[in-house]
Amino acid sequence: MNLGYLFGYQLAGRAGLRLQRWRSEWRHARTAPDPDRALNPPLRSTIRMREMMSLHYLEGRHVAGVRPVAWVTSGAPTEILKSMGYFLVYPENHAALCGARRHAEGLAVAAESAGYSRDICSYARTDLGSVLSGTTPVGSLPPPDLLLCSTNICQTVLYWYRVLADHFGCPLVLVDTPFLYEDEAAPHQVDFVRRQLEEIVPIAERVARREFSEEELGRVIGRAKRASELWLEILNRARHRPAPMTAFDGFINLGPIVDLRGDRQTVEFYEGMLAELDDRIDRGIGAVRHERYRVLWDNLPIWYRIGPFSRWLAERGVNIVASTYTHAWGELAEMMDADRPFEAMARVYLHPILNRSTGHKLAAMRRMVADFEIDGVILHSDRSCKPYSLGQIDQRDRLVNQVGIPALLLEADHNDPRSFAEEQAMVRMEAFVEMMSA
Amino acid sequence: MASITLPTRREAIAEARRQGRRIAAVLPYHYPRALLRAHGFHPVEVWGPPGVPRDEGGRHFQSYTCDIVVRATSFLMGGGLDPADVILIPHTCDALQGMGSVVADFLQPSQPVLTLYLPRSDRPSDRRYLVEELRRLSGRLASITGHEATAADWDEAFAAEEAADLALASLYAERSRLAVTDRGFYTAVRSREFLTAEDFVAMAAGLPRGEAPGEGVGLTLSGIVAEPLDLFDRINDAGGRVVSDDLACGARRIYPPSDAADPFERIAGRLIASPPDPTRGSPIEERVRMLADLMRSTGAAGLIVFDVPFCEPELFDVPLLRQHLGEAGYPVLHVEAELGGSLPHQVLTRIEAFVETLR
Ligand code: SF4
Ligand code: SF4
Repeated sequence: MNLGYLFGYQLAGRAGLRLQRWRSEWRHARTAPDPDRALNPPLRSTIRMREMMSLHYLEGRHVAGVRPVAWVTSGAPTEILKSMGYFLVYPENHAALCGARRHAEGLAVAAESAGYSRDICSYARTDLGSVLSGTTPVGSLPPPDLLLCSTNICQTVLYWYRVLADHFGCPLVLVDTPFLYEDEAAPHQVDFVRRQLEEIVPIAERVARREFSEEELGRVIGRAKRASELWLEILNRARHRPAPMTAFDGFINLGPIVDLRGDRQTVEFYEGMLAELDDRIDRGIGAVRHERYRVLWDNLPIWYRIGPFSRWLAERGVNIVASTYTHAWGELAEMMDADRPFEAMARVYLHPILNRSTGHKLAAMRRMVADFEIDGVILHSDRSCKPYSLGQIDQRDRLVNQVGIPALLLEADHNDPRSFAEEQAMVRMEAFVEMMSA
Repeated sequence: MASITLPTRREAIAEARRQGRRIAAVLPYHYPRALLRAHGFHPVEVWGPPGVPRDEGGRHFQSYTCDIVVRATSFLMGGGLDPADVILIPHTCDALQGMGSVVADFLQPSQPVLTLYLPRSDRPSDRRYLVEELRRLSGRLASITGHEATAADWDEAFAAEEAADLALASLYAERSRLAVTDRGFYTAVRSREFLTAEDFVAMAAGLPRGEAPGEGVGLTLSGIVAEPLDLFDRINDAGGRVVSDDLACGARRIYPPSDAADPFERIAGRLIASPPDPTRGSPIEERVRMLADLMRSTGAAGLIVFDVPFCEPELFDVPLLRQHLGEAGYPVLHVEAELGGSLPHQVLTRIEAFVETLR
């Protein structure tokens, strides 16, 4: 065993982060709600989530040579790799973290200096900038032994991972998921994805020099399913009035369901978060102190503005209670099946909202408008994410003219603040809030 | 040098109709021509078109959407695709995915909207999937026409379309012996986008042979579409000569032959074996190797990557093409231009400066 891994991560690192969590929890327990603030104190669970994610990145600093490392896309079928002991790095999640900590712009500039266009996804630019400059707010990322890319969120990830494959010189495994223009996947589409999932196994075995076990895969899928169910329940708790959480809480606490799906601690974490929300509901505590308007958010968050945005909205009595984005990691839980792992995974990984038609997304938004008693919709027109954004103009039009609710198309970029005209955006947001009150 | 006279798109459509064919409007860029023909359809491709303003398409797609998608949507909404009996939108990229979905779900033109998801690799599983995907498309076409393609239909379609594909490949192979300018050559190549297979073969056979005009520095052109055609004149004026290409509207569609007996296997095999291409997920290393070989064999001194703005599949590869081809001794210039009427001055200046450095 590598000494850095043992002391830096398993002993000192773990203990240090636990201590930090205890201190934060102690402070949180002593924070009384401030009547002058529009938001109630944040969820206590977030402290635990921070510890889990910090620990994950800390392990990443020491893991090279201890566990095989795979870099994977956020929609990739990671259960197979997880069951074989791979340490997983999610460049998108890492990029989001850089965005939230305001490091993304500098990293994007580093990628642009190397010739990457400002017109490509800002997650990709953040990640490539980090790879090329060797800079990251988490210290360091372990280089990949394997790249796993699934096109079920976009084709962009394939262009991006081809660049990573060239840079790192490691195998790139593709799980190509035909886009679903129709409501359900056709049998040949499911077969195609199932075969590709089966093809991952020998490559992953060769790279890891470990044997695959279907039994272990079943266990990982079981835990991933449970965590996804809990995640969906958590998000659906926001149907209560007042909602005990905001979609921003959802964005912030998304890390474990994306990065640590399939781990036991993730199930425990979301059980704890659900209990905390139920306690809030019992005590009538809303995330926004005076919730007047309930809003649905479409697309990725604007990571570098999450805090100011949630405060600005809360001051106007607005709670963003749901988002199509966070739901994406929960709504497929029912398709997961540990008894037919490959077939079930093929279906699961074909059906994320981003791999489905613009009409399907509109239908999902309509359902959410009804289920969450929504007063208005903000569609973040994300310059960096074309697959999520194309279609929003017509979706907005239908929401306004057929559903009859205000809907705002908000131009921004999820990770690059240079593509966000904030002043102009806030004027439009103000008008949107006024429309809801009309 | 003789100028090339070609039928217009309208005339080509009229000719196809006269032959009893329906019209399929097809968005870029890989698709099964023989399959369309076996079902009685003649494909006419829609690359923008360049002259159409973005305004109407801009009511459905954001400003950061590429010109091909926005202008094609304008064209559709303005009635430009009315002569078509079906619209086929292959899943080439996220932008065309968005267009296919928005057109089918929201714009709902009077014609059926067909889609085709092309796999992004060349593994046996990709081929098997593509065979089934082609069968699905065939089923859709048969339900539209009420007629299943017979063995005779397939034979006739393969004979015609593969002859035209061969004619296209021969044009490239014979480039240095064709007495046509670069502009003339690409006018000929791109007439495959709308001519019937027979007319294309006849046109290719009729091109004047002799010495290719022009003395300039050899260049390879990469990207999606070389529009406007004026580009070639400007390159020539600057002292350059386009000796080969890696264009989506050009050499990326030189499909190798296949002798598979099953029609779907045959088409899938050919599509999957097309030259390395970012939209098909080819590893960058393969693309670099192909480009270096191509440039060496055609005597190109540099590569111009000519892109439509916001074209992610192309943009991601540019830095690595520049790096690896640079290491192999081939400088790379990357320029972007909208599909408008004329080339921006800045683009022209950069091309001129690039050619100058290669002299
Ligand atoms: S294009 Fe969109 S879905 Fe794809 S990596 Fe970027 S943000 Fe994610
Ligand atoms: S120009 Fe690029 S982004 Fe646009 S349709 Fe063509 S391949 Fe897609």
